[in-house]
Amino acid sequence: MERFVQVIVDGWATGSLYAALAVAVVLIYRSTGIVNFAQGELAMFSTFIAWGLIEAGVPLALALLGTLALSFAGGMLIERVIIRPVEGGEVLTLVIVTLGLYILVNSLAGWIWGFGNRSFPGLFGDSQLDVAGVGIPVESIGIVAVLIGVVGLLFAVFQRTKIGLAMRAVSLNPDSSRLVGISVGRTLMIGWGIAALVGALAGVLLAPRLFLDVNLMGGVLIYSFAAATLGGFDSPFGAVLGGWIIGIAENLAGTYVDFIGNDLKILVPLVAIVVVLLFRPTGLFGSPEVARA
Amino acid sequence: MSSRRVRLLAWGVVLVLAVLLPFFFNAYRVGQFTQAMALAIAVLGLNLLVGYSGQISLGHGAFFALGAYTSAIAIDDVGVPYLLTLPLAGLVCALAGFLVGLPALRLRGLYLALVTLGLAIATPQIIKRADGLTGGTQGLTIDKITAPAWSGLADDQWLYFVTLVVTVATFVLAAFLVRGRVGRALVAIRDNEIAARAMGVNLARFKTGTFAVSAAYAGVGGALFMLPIGFLAPESFPLALSFAFLAAIVVGGLATIAGALFGALFIEFVPVYAADVDEALAGVIYGGVLILFMYLLPGGVMGLIRKLSSTKTRPRGSDDAEAGAGHRVGGGAAGADRARERVRAQ
Amino acid sequence: MSLLEVSDLEAGYGPVTVLRGVSFSVDEGRIVTVLGPNGAGKTTTLRAVSGMIRRSGSVRFDGKDVSRYTPEKMARQSVAHVPEGRGTFTGLTVEENLRVGAYPRRDKDVAADMQRCFGHFPRLQERRSQHAGSLSGGEQQMLAIARALMLRPRLMLLDEPSLGLAPKLTRELFSILEKIAREEGVTLLLVEQNANLVLKFADDAHVLEAGRIVLSGTAEEIKADEGIRRSYLGV
Repeated sequence: MERFVQVIVDGWATGSLYAALAVAVVLIYRSTGIVNFAQGELAMFSTFIAWGLIEAGVPLALALLGTLALSFAGGMLIERVIIRPVEGGEVLTLVIVTLGLYILVNSLAGWIWGFGNRSFPGLFGDSQLDVAGVGIPVESIGIVAVLIGVVGLLFAVFQRTKIGLAMRAVSLNPDSSRLVGISVGRTLMIGWGIAALVGALAGVLLAPRLFLDVNLMGGVLIYSFAAATLGGFDSPFGAVLGGWIIGIAENLAGTYVDFIGNDLKILVPLVAIVVVLLFRPTGLFGSPEVARA
Repeated sequence: MSSRRVRLLAWGVVLVLAVLLPFFFNAYRVGQFTQAMALAIAVLGLNLLVGYSGQISLGHGAFFALGAYTSAIAIDDVGVPYLLTLPLAGLVCALAGFLVGLPALRLRGLYLALVTLGLAIATPQIIKRADGLTGGTQGLTIDKITAPAWSGLADDQWLYFVTLVVTVATFVLAAFLVRGRVGRALVAIRDNEIAARAMGVNLARFKTGTFAVSAAYAGVGGALFMLPIGFLAPESFPLALSFAFLAAIVVGGLATIAGALFGALFIEFVPVYAADVDEALAGVIYGGVLILFMYLLPGGVMGLIRKLSSTKTRPRGSDDAEAGAGHRVGGGAAGADRARERVRAQ
Repeated sequence: MSLLEVSDLEAGYGPVTVLRGVSFSVDEGRIVTVLGPNGAGKTTTLRAVSGMIRRSGSVRFDGKDVSRYTPEKMARQSVAHVPEGRGTFTGLTVEENLRVGAYPRRDKDVAADMQRCFGHFPRLQERRSQHAGSLSGGEQQMLAIARALMLRPRLMLLDEPSLGLAPKLTRELFSILEKIAREEGVTLLLVEQNANLVLKFADDAHVLEAGRIVLSGTAEEIKADEGIRRSYLGV
């Protein structure tokens, strides 16, 4: 029984990481209709920046804040410089651009920091908490808490601030947004910045659990896409719930289903995507437009 | 001279050059060109699927791998002569493509891309898991292909010519498909499914058929690709390969036949999936070039060639296929009616 | 000097030129309409004025040359455009639609203005927390106008506000518009196909045919014109 709870909690934490990247993907999809295949690589790059700062002696908290700030700026820059020229264009063009970005960022990280792996300090320590006789790692609780906090913050920004209102307006109707004086370009930049920031968070939370190398996020991407699909591609809440479901399901399957073991855990997100898309394309919370996309 | 004659002449020149090529380069280079041709067949297959019928697939590498492994297993375990494994690989992959094409009927654009992405990601894992058949992580080796004595060619040259013959055959077949009724039906489907259906086009048959043909091409390409190397392992078929195919069709030019050649050359000679330390910068350049291509030449190399030669005679039918090729891909039903509006920041 | 001066405006979509040198002016405080048949270029004219499409020629607003301004900049100049199809944010609530209408404003009177809008359009107040997508066509038109009003515009551009509305509703709408124009001092520029209706309440009118203004004058003058009576008023 103890094992079971631990598997669930661990899956919940991993699922939160999938969810974080999924939220980033969904944010961008909602506002621009673009699926950013490079989201994971950007997160990986941010994590390396964090590592670099920490190696240079910057205290952990400051290094993280610096990374988040730099990631925000980076996200804005990428929208402005790389995505803007092809925004609103053909689907395939956008797919290729984000794929190109994937390759570029991945190789750039390798070029700067090499392709070996290194360890990344955990933020929550190694201790365990005793909850009703079951040992729960503090880290897992911390990850879930951070995710909930971040999503809550995003919700507040979107619902209660002027810029949040502008972002929602732009994703609903860019033309009308212009007519009320919203600078669509600037709003999109901010959207990409926020997405990059959330992705960076996913990276620095994930890195301590694995090794930090250029392939850190490569495996996560499909899980995040599965989470986003399950949740409904334009719903951040859906992405969170989807991520949790996928994370827990994957861990349960990997632990208790022999056929799957460790190699075929990847089947979980794949099956999830196929099942959702064939039977309920809007996912859990997606809007009807999502099904027609 | 009419544009049709110009085009035939151009192909003729290319063919002559291709025939002469192996006598002027060393074995290694010839091997690379052989592989480029094998890739071109696969790229052409993907272009049929994406450029002509408008179904986005990020999983082409899966069929490529399936063809390669089918051929290798047939040669290794069953002793089938390697030439016969080519149609075998094609058939197996056609069936697989059809099976994937069936559920794909219900998916569009982004979602089809996601599912096929999953296919590509799962491929190395599945290869590893089915190690009884595929040799798992150890991979499979096949005996080196030697040139028959009567040809008077070196081994690498023989393989080159075998591949060349198959390439020409597949390209000619594709050209016939595309310029005839089939091609018109595919373009109609790509541009406006509802209208196509109203005109009596059987959507399901054409779309799954295209998936099957596209997969078959990938399979034949995969089989040919591994013959010069003689070895294959799960690492030979990473996700990057499927990306490369997609990049190739856009770089070459969507909904074009000739574009497959340019695209294949592009991805063969800017290797993307050898992740060595030295090639880190190559990856940066490759990604950067792809992005620049999309800014400057979204119509690919063939788009540029068409534009340059449009001051002369205007080619007829084929232009219609290409016009709107990028625009409609993934749009599915009522492409212009997309619910998700693409946002443009002015 | 007029509030809005348009000279030799040329605009189109891609290879198709729709406006072939349109010139007219709009005086402050007046209700001005541009009439014309389908395809004459009425919507294009408004789009060209508010900067939504590329155009050549000159547009001057309040003496300033705004020929190169983007729609965002025009909005910040207090020019509000109620577009064809209303353009409401269907996923936002009625109240949020109004709030976003005041986006460029930094003053403290936004809440008060919202109340005034509700005063003009009581039906919107009833539905203030509902999603705009659930409103009827007529209510969405009101919402679009109210949103434009939240900008505190000096000039409001309206694209066929009567389109798709029942006659009774249209009359109600026009009387509210007139009230807004007179009370709040907003200059209105409407394009309309329904000449009968709009000539009753406009001050000035311009007639647009095949991309050019063929007749300009006060509403009375236009109403009296023989050619107009035959073509547009069915008399």
